[in-house]
Amino acid sequence: MKLGIAGGVLAVLAVIAAIVGYSSLFTVYQTRLALVVRLGQPVKIVTEPGLNFKLPLIDSVIYVDKRILDLENAAAEVIASDQKRLVVDAFARYRINNALLFYQSVGTVDAANSRLSTLLNAALRRVLGEATLTHVVRDDRSALMARVREQVDREAAAFGITVVDVRIRRADLPAENSQAVFERMKSERKREATEFRAQGSQRAQEIRARADRDITVIIADAQSKGDTMRGEGEAERNRIFAEAFGKDPDFFAFYRSMQAYESGLRHSDTRMVLKPDSDFFRYFADPAGRPREDAKK
Amino acid sequence: MPWSNQGGGPWGSGGSKGPWGQGPQSSGPTPPDLEELLRRSQDKLKSVLPGGNLGGRGVLLIVVAALLVWGFSGFFKVEPDELGAVLRFGKYTRDAQPGLNYHLPYPIETVLTPKVTRVNRIDIGMRLIEDPRRTSQQIRDIPEESLMLTGDENIVDIDVSVFWQVKVGGAKDYLFNIQNPEGTVKAVAESAMREVVGRSDIQPILTGARQSIETSVHELMQKVLDTYQAGVQVTQVQMQKVDPPAQVIESFREVQAARADLVRLQNEAETYANQKVPEAKGQASKILQDAEAYKSQTVAEATGQASRFGKVYEEYKKAPQVTRQRIYLETMERVFGGTDKIILDSGSSTQGGNNSGVVPILPLNEMVRRPATGGTQ
Repeated sequence: MKLGIAGGVLAVLAVIAAIVGYSSLFTVYQTRLALVVRLGQPVKIVTEPGLNFKLPLIDSVIYVDKRILDLENAAAEVIASDQKRLVVDAFARYRINNALLFYQSVGTVDAANSRLSTLLNAALRRVLGEATLTHVVRDDRSALMARVREQVDREAAAFGITVVDVRIRRADLPAENSQAVFERMKSERKREATEFRAQGSQRAQEIRARADRDITVIIADAQSKGDTMRGEGEAERNRIFAEAFGKDPDFFAFYRSMQAYESGLRHSDTRMVLKPDSDFFRYFADPAGRPREDAKK
Repeated sequence: MPWSNQGGGPWGSGGSKGPWGQGPQSSGPTPPDLEELLRRSQDKLKSVLPGGNLGGRGVLLIVVAALLVWGFSGFFKVEPDELGAVLRFGKYTRDAQPGLNYHLPYPIETVLTPKVTRVNRIDIGMRLIEDPRRTSQQIRDIPEESLMLTGDENIVDIDVSVFWQVKVGGAKDYLFNIQNPEGTVKAVAESAMREVVGRSDIQPILTGARQSIETSVHELMQKVLDTYQAGVQVTQVQMQKVDPPAQVIESFREVQAARADLVRLQNEAETYANQKVPEAKGQASKILQDAEAYKSQTVAEATGQASRFGKVYEEYKKAPQVTRQRIYLETMERVFGGTDKIILDSGSSTQGGNNSGVVPILPLNEMVRRPATGGTQ
């Protein structure tokens, strides 16, 4: 029993020693800072990770995250300087750089988030409110984001916080404005389509007109050449005739007259009233065939 | 106190968003609660000591066994796609390569094994839904993410996938420098995408600028993530879909159709031209040929006639009087042979002429009319 009692005491002492030992040690993890508070009074800040000592029971340790922390802001409506409304959804990344100040002013990350969120919204309204929508969307986005960051950073310094970055995740038009944009896009496309069709029929007409013109010119050209050629033919004929008939115009007149009589008077619809004293009938009454005086007349 | 509940594990409550805080991949052995351990050992002591049956040797045996078990708990495995980071009392001390490794047992050392070689994918504007019934994946569109405002105040619908992994040598940053790497990558991706799209007009985005947008987003994301020292490498930015919004896509198709109409109208006109112009050329050629033929014919005829006359003339020259008479008579013969004739004798030739005063009545009208009617008989 004696041994038992001694053993019991020993065991109790060992347990107490273990508890005291355990409570005088604390570990600081790689991602954290530790703030040692002695009876409500901050005594030191441990920045190096590892095993550390404190007074048991009297000191308590407060851990503060030293990583880059998230701040996801809910979408907020902002009115740009040209009175256009924008739904802006921004986020920030921040770091606690003064654990003591942080602990004293806001205490927890959740509380810090809600404070920062307020600051961020105010800064967004302020900065974006001075810019036009075009600047926010197209021209100056990164510069505006940098200005928001600066402003939030300045104000958040009071909480022991450094704002690493502020970025606009989305900057979109509100739903009802989007509808208007859609309508405008539609009408623009419609205009474009109409323009294309008009261009198409214009070009088609041009092509047809040119073709028609070409056709007219081609035919006229051909006709002109053809007429010239016919003229040449006729001229040639005249030349040939002149050359041939010019040898004896008198005979030609006679010969050609004969031909003309034959082709002109040949048909049966010709009816002649003749006097028998014409030269043809020279021998009609007189086999001697002297030409009559009357006929000669 | 608000942080009094942080005593559970080293990253207990704060780590729910952390890379090792959740899910089945959480690395390292879950440490048993210390107080629980203490209480258990006290119970053991109590149960052993009063009996005292086992004696000092027994106690020693138990202690040695416990020490052995404790010591062996330091073995851990690092998978091929992982990298081990060993922490001694919370301080990062060394890396552990894939394979079997040892760290001093808890609570002295712990280990984290992030998957450093795995390429992670983040989708913006859509989610892939695994359908267990089919092997295919379905895509669910998320318009509030995918609709973006362009520089000329149009709206465009873009889905994009970002692939990223832990940077080589950046595991420490990835683990210890940033609270929520995955969420940060996504937020930065969205922000970069909109910033780049916001700088451009809608037309180049829809048509050709895909490649350059991907490059710009990639560069911008990497730059931002590097300023966070997030230990993240963006490996690829892939635009999955670039369309006009569903509300107006019909109008864009209409423009395409109009463009096609333009080409069609043009082609039709060209078809017309290509048909009609050669036809006209053919016609022109016919006109020319006809003229040529006429010319040749005319010349040939003239030559023929001239030559005929020439022949006749040659004969005529030999005996002009006779030939002339002959031709005259022959012609008259042929002429009179085919016609109706009325021969009026002018009376006695001695009385001289037709001045006798007697004029015979000829019903010329009837005579002319007769052959006309007779012609039809």
